[in-house]
Amino acid sequence: MQLDFVAREVTIKLVYYGPALSGKTSNLQALHELAGNDTRGRLMTLETQNDRTLFFDLLPLTFRSKDGDVSLRIKLFTVPGQPMHAATRRLVLQGADGVALIADSRVSETQRNAESFLDLKQNLKDNGLELGKMPLVIQFNKRDLPNIRSDAELEKLAQRGREPVFKAVAVQGTGVIETFVGLLFLTYRTLDRTHDLSKRLGIQGEELVRTAATQLGVTTPIEELLGQKMGGNFDGGRPTP
Amino acid sequence: MSDDGDRASAPELSISEIGMGPPRLEKIVGPAALADTAASVADLFGVEVRVFSASGMMLAGDPLDAPALIGAALAMARGAPVPPDQRGPANERFRLLPIEYDGRAVGTVLLGPYALPGDVAAGMRVVQAKSVDALCRHLSRVLDLVMWSGHKALLTSTMHLATMRESYRELQEKNEKLNQAYARLQELDRLKSNFIATVSHELRTPLTSIMGYSEMLAEGIAGPLTDEQADFIATIRTKSDQLLGLIVSLLDMSKLESGTFFVKPASVVVVDLLSDVVATLTPTAAKKGVRLSVEGPADPLPTVHADEDRLRQVFLNLTENAVKFTPPGGRVTLSAAEGIDPRDHEGLALLAPVHRAVEIRIADTGVGIPRAERDRVFAPFYQVDQSSTREQGGTGLGLAIVKRLIDAHHGSIRIEDNDPRGTVFVVTLPCAADVESMPPAGSDDLLNSDALPPIFQ
Repeated sequence: MQLDFVAREVTIKLVYYGPALSGKTSNLQALHELAGNDTRGRLMTLETQNDRTLFFDLLPLTFRSKDGDVSLRIKLFTVPGQPMHAATRRLVLQGADGVALIADSRVSETQRNAESFLDLKQNLKDNGLELGKMPLVIQFNKRDLPNIRSDAELEKLAQRGREPVFKAVAVQGTGVIETFVGLLFLTYRTLDRTHDLSKRLGIQGEELVRTAATQLGVTTPIEELLGQKMGGNFDGGRPTP
Repeated sequence: MSDDGDRASAPELSISEIGMGPPRLEKIVGPAALADTAASVADLFGVEVRVFSASGMMLAGDPLDAPALIGAALAMARGAPVPPDQRGPANERFRLLPIEYDGRAVGTVLLGPYALPGDVAAGMRVVQAKSVDALCRHLSRVLDLVMWSGHKALLTSTMHLATMRESYRELQEKNEKLNQAYARLQELDRLKSNFIATVSHELRTPLTSIMGYSEMLAEGIAGPLTDEQADFIATIRTKSDQLLGLIVSLLDMSKLESGTFFVKPASVVVVDLLSDVVATLTPTAAKKGVRLSVEGPADPLPTVHADEDRLRQVFLNLTENAVKFTPPGGRVTLSAAEGIDPRDHEGLALLAPVHRAVEIRIADTGVGIPRAERDRVFAPFYQVDQSSTREQGGTGLGLAIVKRLIDAHHGSIRIEDNDPRGTVFVVTLPCAADVESMPPAGSDDLLNSDALPPIFQ
């Protein structure tokens, strides 16, 4: 996070993590589509010839508080999912304020999802960060494909876990906003707790997140949006038994 | 985080700041190339072009002796609201154009001097107002393209360099670790050979003599014995047997610690193994009046990946202990069920389906182990009851060996309360498929732990 008191700007870094081809870049593309011109910056993709992410994708989003006094700048990064880019993933994670793990819903990808999560844990550790303290949401993407893990199964597991879990079809834009707003909400709440953001900037933090959601074209109340999650919670604590 | 209110003095871009703050104009465009572009635009439209960056540098164009005008250009470059149309020292016209990137000011273009039709300006190029507007729009687009491409190239090259450095650092680190591990292995190999030879010879040889001679005495080879003498000899033989058992345990322990202990893993059906253990210990338990039983789930459990003999040793030891510490009339129950590793709380939704495990519970109704003692019981030679008059015998090595054997199988052991009294030892062992397919990161705590002998790391 970067805080600029003169310009009254908060810049937050969010990273979309996950196994190769799970739809991290698709999530950014969908957000880019959904965001208005005032909000979105250009989506920068550093990719190889085969459309595979090489270093990262970067989508800058800028939200302004209702009175236009404070800017919330979000830098959305993706990591390259292929195993060989381990060093790049570790670098992109540096200074991350929140992470969304984009998992592939197909049964055949279960192992790779788990490996990616453990890779995330290890890379955070190598960067001196603790997974338990990192705002984290999980997205099960590609819900439209056959041979996926069932809703009932995900629901059951999500309720035993700590992280909010969202379902999505990123290429159709479904569930993308929910995941993003969920992550932003969780991240802002954590930063507010650790850095006293709202007080230092003299703003209503949750109001700012609410405004951000509106600028993404969300008309439903934010509580309803966050309620789309299956299990997990937004308190960063353990699930209630 | 950095609370910097002064962006101009921001330090060199570090990796965590990549793509975060506004890029500096002079960093992403080459001043020479920018000067060429400015000169070519001036040629084309007949209006001079100067470019200033937010940090106060003039990046393109000839020097200009007009402090107020340059001041206005620099103020705009830093994001201050400045009217675009300006007048020069001789009342000639200038136009300021902000250069923005990602919604933030990063520099200014200064166009001019020029004159509009109707201006009294001898020798000055007269241009139409709409031409100036068109030129501004054109310059904006060109600069936007240059900034975007330059920024992308800057990010790519910075990431490339950083990634190479990171990979190199990682390789160096791994080499260093490998070298250290290799040196340690060589040293251990030498020590192990010496130690095992010494222990087995120095301890076992005299003990064998003691046992042999007491056996001969007991058989009456040195003459008939009185009843009292026969009793004494029997005691010597029992105690010698115990001592031999201790020496064998010590050897096991030293092998486990030095990493020369080899497990020969195969697929093991846990419930069968537990039944076997119960069958072995039923006579001992019956003699003491303790009920011993085994329970398994209706559906067959997945097999675990383990050395069957060593696993039998673990459960024999735990069950023997349980019987030992349970008073007559009590009961000891062994049960097995499918479970997940208790440490997999984080990311459970992702890990549970691939981290399958079998959970074995050995529950007794004995004296119980106080909560504070639970971590220490696995240390070598530790006894909960340290008093010299303690009721129960034992070497204090059993649980230490059990713990190390379970560690060697990538499993875990913990102690829980039994309701209403007694202790439950809970052993969790990963399933066969899990151990074979998970990458080393899957059990990082165990595999990288220094507590493990190098052979299992």
